[in-house]
Amino acid sequence: MQNLAGRLAAVDESAGAAIDVIAYFDRLAQSRAGLEQVVRGAAVLAGVPARLVDPSRRIQVRVEPDGVRTAHADPPDPRWRWHPVGPDGTGRVVLETDRRASLVDDMVLERAAMLAELVISRVRRPGPSPGPDCAVVEVVVDPHVLVDERLRAYRELGLPAGARALVVAWPGGHVQVVAAGAPLPDAPRLGVGTAVDAPDLPISAARARTALRFSADDTADDPGARVVHADDLGGLELIAAAVDAGAPPTADLRSLRRAAEEIPHLVLTLTRYAASASIRAAAAALFVHHSTLQDRLDHAERLLGWDVRQPAGRLRLQMALAERLLRR
Amino acid sequence: MTTIAPPPFDPELAAALAATGQDTVATGITPDTLADARAALLEGVPSVADLAADGTYDVEELAVPGPEGGQDVPLLVIRPRDAVGLRPVVYHTHGGGLIMGNNRFGVDLVLEWARELGLIVVSVGYRLAPEHPFPAGLDDAHAGLRWVHEHAGEIGGDARRIVLAGGSAGGTLAAALAQLTRDRGDVEVLGQLLMYPMLDDRNDSVSVRQMAGIGVWDGISNATGWSAWLAGRPGADAPRYAVPARERDLAGLPPAFLDVGSAETFRDEVVEYAGRIWAAGGEAELHVWPGAFHGFDFLAPQAELSQRARQARLHWLRRLLGE
Repeated sequence: MQNLAGRLAAVDESAGAAIDVIAYFDRLAQSRAGLEQVVRGAAVLAGVPARLVDPSRRIQVRVEPDGVRTAHADPPDPRWRWHPVGPDGTGRVVLETDRRASLVDDMVLERAAMLAELVISRVRRPGPSPGPDCAVVEVVVDPHVLVDERLRAYRELGLPAGARALVVAWPGGHVQVVAAGAPLPDAPRLGVGTAVDAPDLPISAARARTALRFSADDTADDPGARVVHADDLGGLELIAAAVDAGAPPTADLRSLRRAAEEIPHLVLTLTRYAASASIRAAAAALFVHHSTLQDRLDHAERLLGWDVRQPAGRLRLQMALAERLLRR
Repeated sequence: MTTIAPPPFDPELAAALAATGQDTVATGITPDTLADARAALLEGVPSVADLAADGTYDVEELAVPGPEGGQDVPLLVIRPRDAVGLRPVVYHTHGGGLIMGNNRFGVDLVLEWARELGLIVVSVGYRLAPEHPFPAGLDDAHAGLRWVHEHAGEIGGDARRIVLAGGSAGGTLAAALAQLTRDRGDVEVLGQLLMYPMLDDRNDSVSVRQMAGIGVWDGISNATGWSAWLAGRPGADAPRYAVPARERDLAGLPPAFLDVGSAETFRDEVVEYAGRIWAAGGEAELHVWPGAFHGFDFLAPQAELSQRARQARLHWLRRLLGE
């Protein structure tokens, strides 16, 4: 009476073993197995550790060939064999081996990936989760929660232990934790925090929220950058702090608001101008002739009371525009 | 006999069974097919060299005096090389329906405890039915146990900490030894670990009928085993200790650990035996593993359920032995 691993070892590399692999995953599919069972099947049948990773769904399962589930040990080795899970291609079943291709390994990867896709579509939302995942993230970024508890929540998010991460803030107050270097979520507006070690994520969150306040929908009514990185704010963070501390609106902002009431699209014009390296570049961004833009800036300067085309005036303009964003 | 739907197998266990290329294991064994079944059971059983695991264990094969007027009894003594001083002893009786197997069958599972807890494992080679019906097998097992008790120090064992352990028919013998030594008082036994034990020759419970021809070890194989053991005698006339479940008095037994699958022939008799131990004021820990077939942890050791079952046994042993 041989156990499964013993039997497979005995018929290794043959079509017989491949048939056993198919029978194994077919039977697993018939009885509502979960993802861990799928990964364990791959590890046991291939005789090497196996992983299922899907960053967009925060799935991370790793099982040793003796069937024991473990945390992810090392970053994946590019030489390991893998197979994509599902048509969107974000997930992978991985065998931690670089041995040469074999019928059995290929069959294990293919069948495990097929079944993983089936299980995912059965128990989870079909696509990558679109929005941030609130409750757990709130714990991770809450400075009042004990560090151990935050780290536990961090692991629950499925992010690699020891790696740096950052917080992105969405309009409406939600935040999301993203591995440093990973692609940012696609959102209408985002504030992006600094990349930090896991225990410092509350700091990243605070900075992400500040950055979000400097972002805009980038429409004619609300011009400005859609994605703002805290690392790029520099001294502008001080303005946010001053506003939060109750400083009254500056005279320059009051001038800007008055001028905006008289000239349509003034804020759009000035925002594009302030964000461009030259008058010509700003004119191109606004789809107007550069002489037209010069005329509009002349008009704006008369109403504002300062010269926005000199370096000092340009700085004043940028400060006033930033303050406008903060006081929306 | 009406058929009753059995509980579904656990997904991983069902998959492992499917991957062995057969629907069932050790079902429908009759005296005519016994020779083949014996060979199939021993396929893949570790050799003495395998058991030594490259020096992790010292393995010794002893022959000790058998029952009065009988032949010597082979004992396989396995000791973790890093064990220090006198260690608790697991006295292992192997499975195989009382008609199959040898003293290396199923020892792999016991060695895990030895490694974790530093235990001495003694696995007895007892005579098999039908060539040698009851009491031959139990007499051999009893003689071996008495030798271990009297000579524990010679194998580095602690005579005050002997635990009986056996799976399937090994559980028959372990349970019978627990009853026998309780009554004779010749060996002090600390506990009995009965893994999906074969306890009742009546072979007519609901679980027996549910599992007819399904899974691992069905009612036909079971009838063949009991009939050989009892030499064709009706069970009602069976001598004392031949059938553990027929013992009327289950009081005063050493603490018992019992486990069984919900999808196996022995489910109901194991649950009932545990219930009777409690009713007699005894100590028993019972685990019924959902969707498990007979010998599940042996056939699919990597499955989650198998891991949990092994953990449960280890925890019980650790508590029992004060390790």
